[in-house]
Amino acid sequence: MIRRVLDTLYLGSGYLAALFLALIAVAIILQVVGRSLGYVVDSTEIAGFFMAASSFFALAHTFKSGSHVRVTILAHALTGGTRRLLETWCCLAAAAATGYLAWHAIGLAWQSWDFEDISPGLLAIPFWIPQSAMAAGLVLLVVALLDEAVAVLRGRMPSYASGEDTALD
Amino acid sequence: MDQIVLASTVMLAVVLLFLASGVWVAISLLAASIAALVLFTPVPAGSLLASSMWDASWNWALTALPLFVWMGEILSRTRLSSDMFSGVAPWVSRLPGRLLHVNVLSCGIMAAVAGSSAVTAATIGRMSLPELSRRGYNENMMIGTLAGSGTLGLLIPPSIVMIVYGVTAQQSVARLFIAGILPGLVLVLLFMGYVALWSMANAERMPAAEPRVKLRTKLWESRRLIPVLLLIIAVIGSIYGGIATPTEAATIGVVGSLALAAAYGGLSMATFMESLLAATRMSCMIAFIIGCAACLTIAVGFVDIPRALAGWVDSLGLSRYALLAVLAFFILVMGCFLEGISIIVLSASVMLPMLEAADVDLLWFGVFVVILIEAAQITPPVGFNLFVLQSLTGRSIWRITVATVPFFLILMLLLVVITMAPAVVTWLPGLMGRG
Repeated sequence: MIRRVLDTLYLGSGYLAALFLALIAVAIILQVVGRSLGYVVDSTEIAGFFMAASSFFALAHTFKSGSHVRVTILAHALTGGTRRLLETWCCLAAAAATGYLAWHAIGLAWQSWDFEDISPGLLAIPFWIPQSAMAAGLVLLVVALLDEAVAVLRGRMPSYASGEDTALD
Repeated sequence: MDQIVLASTVMLAVVLLFLASGVWVAISLLAASIAALVLFTPVPAGSLLASSMWDASWNWALTALPLFVWMGEILSRTRLSSDMFSGVAPWVSRLPGRLLHVNVLSCGIMAAVAGSSAVTAATIGRMSLPELSRRGYNENMMIGTLAGSGTLGLLIPPSIVMIVYGVTAQQSVARLFIAGILPGLVLVLLFMGYVALWSMANAERMPAAEPRVKLRTKLWESRRLIPVLLLIIAVIGSIYGGIATPTEAATIGVVGSLALAAAYGGLSMATFMESLLAATRMSCMIAFIIGCAACLTIAVGFVDIPRALAGWVDSLGLSRYALLAVLAFFILVMGCFLEGISIIVLSASVMLPMLEAADVDLLWFGVFVVILIEAAQITPPVGFNLFVLQSLTGRSIWRITVATVPFFLILMLLLVVITMAPAVVTWLPGLMGRG
């Protein structure tokens, strides 16, 4: 049950990230078409927000599929228990650092909401909206890291490792 | 001063420990920044890091990145690779070295639509390796030309690595792109020159010549390359002409390559989603590294490392060339273990102030670094083009490395060329006028 909910969350946020990536292109197309028709459409700011949303929503999905780069020389030299010990350290250390950042990312979005901070462009978008995408994406990455740590401790190979291995074989 | 030495040592130790043990690159940079700010400065570390990462993540210049990545992903899923082989082969079959030039030239063309060297090498190699080995070409040369020319993807615009450098070093991405064109063409010529020389010296190891073909047949064979060439002209031309920003040019590229894929009949809902998701993962990976590198830059800045380093380098009284040689050496060593983007962001946070102190043009240095990173793509044990070639050929990484050595040396030669004649880099962007 929990397994299915989590996997749906990772994949779902990956698709959401893909949607935002496509939206960058859509926003720029509107800007180019608008300009040639004589309208002023400024997409620079909204494209930036889409970019941030895409990057952060994709974090967990990218992590699970093994696309975040790392140095695997040591990991690939180890097998069995020592390998799992190393992977546990990687996941937990990464979860601690990311967790620290995620906590403060929530704080940042909260502050922007509290101070009613708005973006300087024509659209004047409240900053807390895109900033919550950053916070949510980072939190989901922490969840995915802890999820993998638990899986490794239970004796399974982490799912990110299979992606790395097929890429290098 | 002692404080700075201690802080640098701690940061270096954290980065090395995390990287070597296999913690993801982005998160290793983040961990070092947290350690430095919490231990050595009185600032509120958490909120400073969160806002640095946020500022780095919605940067307008960065929006070109996912779009160029997507463009490459779309085109690599079309039948472009087979068209490339049949379109380029008739033109080079009479040159000394014959079809080996197909690898170099096709990679050069692919590099002008794809931003990464792995995509370039994989797309071209999938088709050309079987064709060349069927005709009995020397395997080392086949592998070497492909691994070497694949790195053109970084130098010839559009280039993902250049976007990353432009964003971190605050240089115009458009000018960087244009600065890469001439060195890229010089590199193509150097590679082709080496292939020709090798084949003349080793005539007995070359397969029999291809039958002569008429000009009309040649033109007919390459007709399918015309849309790609038009796409290249539209994307690079619009940047060079100042009509479009890199992001707008990238959007033109995405729309153009979707149209191309549809025309080729390779575009289904499934391949569309595949390309989009692959691009999302790739650009997420890069953007996260850039965001964490922004944290690292802030952290080293607060600890005052760059100023101390720049002052130290200044006091050594090194010549420009000596400084560049030392930096090149460090980047090459890093390149043995890290991929290009990590190298750029890691070095940018400490090297750029030194370079400014030594009066080095940061636009020129961008091309210098990109060439070094091309070399890093083919240096073991971690070299992404070597991995691509490994998966395409099934040969061992050491075998591929040996085949690639001459092409590594040619890259070093190119470094010497642009250092002795910086105009190769700066002439074209100088013609662009305003940035």
